[in-house]
Amino acid sequence: MSLPERITVTLLWIIGTITFAVLYAPAAIVILLSFVGVKDRKLDWSDLSLQWYGKFASNSQLIDALSNSLIVGVCAVVIASTISVGLAYYMKTGARAGRSYVEFVIFLPFVLPAIITGISLLIAFRQVGIERSLITVTAGHVVLILAVIYRMVTIRLDALENSQIEASLDLGANSWETFVHVVFPQLRSALLTSSLLAFALSFDETLVTFFLVGGETTLPMRLWAMMRTGFTPEINALVSVVLCVTLLFAALAAMSLRESIERKS
Amino acid sequence: MSIATTPTGIGIAEAAARPKRGLGKLVARLLVYGLPTVMILLPLVSFLASSFLGQDNGKPTGGLTFANYAAFFTSSSYLYVFFGTLKLAFTVALISLFFGYILSYLIWRLEGSARYLLLLLSALPLVMNYVVKIYAMRSILGFNGFLNTMLLSLGIIEVPSRLFIFNQTAVMLTMAVIYLPFGILPIFLALERIPQSLISAAADLGAKPGQIFMTVVLPLSLPGSIAAALFVMVIALGDYLTPQMVGGSEGFTFGRAVWSQFGMAFNWPFGAALAVMLLLAVVALIALASLISRTARVR
Repeated sequence: MSLPERITVTLLWIIGTITFAVLYAPAAIVILLSFVGVKDRKLDWSDLSLQWYGKFASNSQLIDALSNSLIVGVCAVVIASTISVGLAYYMKTGARAGRSYVEFVIFLPFVLPAIITGISLLIAFRQVGIERSLITVTAGHVVLILAVIYRMVTIRLDALENSQIEASLDLGANSWETFVHVVFPQLRSALLTSSLLAFALSFDETLVTFFLVGGETTLPMRLWAMMRTGFTPEINALVSVVLCVTLLFAALAAMSLRESIERKS
Repeated sequence: MSIATTPTGIGIAEAAARPKRGLGKLVARLLVYGLPTVMILLPLVSFLASSFLGQDNGKPTGGLTFANYAAFFTSSSYLYVFFGTLKLAFTVALISLFFGYILSYLIWRLEGSARYLLLLLSALPLVMNYVVKIYAMRSILGFNGFLNTMLLSLGIIEVPSRLFIFNQTAVMLTMAVIYLPFGILPIFLALERIPQSLISAAADLGAKPGQIFMTVVLPLSLPGSIAAALFVMVIALGDYLTPQMVGGSEGFTFGRAVWSQFGMAFNWPFGAALAVMLLLAVVALIALASLISRTARVR
């Protein structure tokens, strides 16, 4: 490498490192402030403690919101997975003229800004007279994460040889038995990966949820409400915990994704 | 396929099951096409329809009208906010393109597990809680924030600056930090699609690394990268909470205007009409992005 090239590459790495630092600055500050207090624009290291971790555990509002988020996330993932697998299997077992229509509709909420999806669902729920609650929130999350799960399931299903399904049917299994014993076992890893990803999306979903939430709120909604009245360090503690858990899940998802890529190639 | 399973003739039980199976097929078809339609398409249609509903002081009159759109096009302040927000989202997209490209390029040049790890690290901020990221950015950019403290201690400024918070700049910077990771992965994939043989051929023919970048890598990856940046622009256009949190009164955006019609102002038909304008801008951007990436593929 010549000198000017080496200088360019070094410069690029400096810019890249700074960009990385900026991307992680918000997380770093939240974690830092969950341990250390601030006094007169300076970090007060004498204030170093785990007290805020104890405080959030006794904040029932936060814990309620956290459990609501978990419930909504799990329900949305289960419903969306069921729909996705059903749709994908239906499309697989025959030449379906409507496939492009169904896929177009499913991918709409993923492509359009969240505010459009949120408003649409809000207006639709209002028209049929459904009150806003955790159920409407769950419905919104299902609509949003459907695209992710469906995509991953179809990619896996398309790789599956048609002859396997035909053989099973020829040997006398009905299509339900074929699904349970032949198709589903091969979908498990794709379902696991996409479920983790979809759960992470649901857990963090804010911009659609805002339009659909009723009396009971999810964690991002609760955080937003608390932020307006004044954030306390216990929120930093909670968020640090959430962050660590998400990192763990992300690492798991990345590992299972890598595994499935390597197995395919 | 069901014909293939009955080569032995139709038994009594199967004959009885026949109409049931036909019904099952009908139900399956209804579910497959009906469910996405009811869950996604119908709400969108009712949203589009409600933008044409007449209303009088917040009460729907029941008639159909273009008044909501007329109110948008004749209001200079809404038009001003609309184009201001387009500009803002465009700036965010440009920043994502520039820094996202540099990061993706650096990662793309790496090999082995370092490459995989850095790619993962660049996507990881996406799973960090969105509300908390906005809050953290506010504590960085604020009057008493980390940025001011840092600039003060470095002696770059004498007194804390109000330039970074509660204005359009604050919204732009916060969105850039939050939405940059959305650009990195698509740009990386655009780089990945370049055939290695082209790069080797250029090198064999005596091109220097700088020349290879300018004549092979950049032209082949730019269309995909621009499409990625347009995607970032779409997300930035629809965001209403970031400007609400760090924008103050100066950082008013179109997303906030839409949102306020569904909240405090409670004028749903007008809000829906505003959202349709946003939707049109988004559809135009997506069409542009797919056009760019398609022409790139043909070549």
